[in-house]
Amino acid sequence: MSEGRSPLFVAVVVVLYAFLLAPIVIIVLAAFNAGEYLRFPPDGLSIRWFVKFAQSGPFVRAFVFSLQLAAATTILATVLGGMAAFYVVRHAGRFRDTLRLLVVSPLQLPAILTGIALLLFFYGTGLGTRGMRALLLGHTLVCLPYVFLTISTVLVGFDRSLEEAARSLGAGPLTTFRRVTLPLIKGGVISGALFAFITSFDQFPISLLLVSVGNTTLPLQLFDYLRFSFDPTAAAVSTVSVLMSVAIVLIIHRLVGLESIAWGGPR
Amino acid sequence: MWRRHLLIAPVVLFLIVLLIVPYVNMVRMSFLVKPPGERYLNVFTLDNYARVLRDGFYWRILANTVWYAVLTTALTLLLGYPLAYAIARAPNRRRPLLLMLLIAPLLVGVVIRAYGWLILLGRVGLVNQLLRYAGRQPVELMYNVTGMTIGLVHVFMPFMALSIAGALQNISPDVERAARSLGASPWKTFWRVTWPLSLPGVFAGMLLVFVLAVSSYVIPILLGGNNVLVIPMLVVQLLLDAFNWPVGSALAMVFFGLTAVVLWGYVKLMNRALRWSLR
Repeated sequence: MSEGRSPLFVAVVVVLYAFLLAPIVIIVLAAFNAGEYLRFPPDGLSIRWFVKFAQSGPFVRAFVFSLQLAAATTILATVLGGMAAFYVVRHAGRFRDTLRLLVVSPLQLPAILTGIALLLFFYGTGLGTRGMRALLLGHTLVCLPYVFLTISTVLVGFDRSLEEAARSLGAGPLTTFRRVTLPLIKGGVISGALFAFITSFDQFPISLLLVSVGNTTLPLQLFDYLRFSFDPTAAAVSTVSVLMSVAIVLIIHRLVGLESIAWGGPR
Repeated sequence: MWRRHLLIAPVVLFLIVLLIVPYVNMVRMSFLVKPPGERYLNVFTLDNYARVLRDGFYWRILANTVWYAVLTTALTLLLGYPLAYAIARAPNRRRPLLLMLLIAPLLVGVVIRAYGWLILLGRVGLVNQLLRYAGRQPVELMYNVTGMTIGLVHVFMPFMALSIAGALQNISPDVERAARSLGASPWKTFWRVTWPLSLPGVFAGMLLVFVLAVSSYVIPILLGGNNVLVIPMLVVQLLLDAFNWPVGSALAMVFFGLTAVVLWGYVKLMNRALRWSLR
């Protein structure tokens, strides 16, 4: 494995990537396939399952609900996570490690356990899980670390002399933040927000425990659907969700580069 | 400049109210009495723990759950290492693409990926249709331990690969070249130089994957079908179907408490192994 270029090694890596991508590619194929299920040989191309998705009340409702929930979660998580990142990177002093551990802890705790704890808490306090509130708070909790880590990564490499220059030229703290700091860390903030968005959109265990009667998220709707039928409508729904994920990966890569995220960021 | 502390105050408040208080409350719940017909009574008891710890059924499921997680961890290590190596040693212009293909599946929902496996490997899935087409007997790949393991390995392999690639990234290729130029074979270079230096990433990846695998719920339900039972499924059943919050909490505490103890021992052991291997 001196330079890792032997044909055998390359073949192994190709097979591993095929394994990683196979279930995702197959869903896209099934969604565009004309038949009731993927058959060999295939039945030809069609968009009928996408039409059926657009006409299916439960799926459309769940999709819209998930989008709303993810959008609200993103706003809340980005504001809270951004503030925490600023404080921890710049002002925390000797509490830095403790605070970082606290903010990242929702990532380290099993989501299903956090969901249970929140369920008991919401009922115990009488808040209940009606409407979107419980889901919003639960999702924000698990999305917060992603925003925090991504914004921390860009803040650590930030050149503070630029801010000092703005201040010495007479700009107030708010103007400096708005005109100097924010434009420079914009990529990190948007990337963190996108991470939060997709994490919320795909979230399962917390949603399962905190969902209320009458509302359902897209992953939960898919989950229920898949226990009883294999209609490719589910594949069409999944394909839309896959395309969103792919778009988000591409945008994050353009903004901050996946390498800085992969080595330093969200785990 | 006390005002700067206002930056962190909302976050700390949020985490105290929505993380620390709920967890403490869950611990409290596990010590409360469960009367028939009511959620719980505010009376202290150890019965829930006694019930969980004395029941052989729970212990059997617990052993299974841990075994599946160990199996998943071992397989992700075996498959994730070559991936990590390929990414870390790829030419600079190709690395972003390889990383993207590794991270993109991570951002696709777990339910969707499980569904993909069902289309591919289910009873009327593509593989079985190909087999039938070729005149062979269909194989049962889903709704059993095999199906669940495939799903778990697929979901957690990117975490392992990222963790290892991060460690490999920090090893200068010059170190390997030096070993080679001193006459070591490629294999010897790998086992004596690269592998020991990548161990921090390997151990961190194993820890992460084990924790995620042992607490996974969606994959065992969707791909294990009725043939697999793991503790997280039992806990959710107790809470959502049986409405038995005290016993459900106690089972969760015992399970995750034991996991935490095992992991603590693991971290101690690995730190020692690291010091020893890098001597």
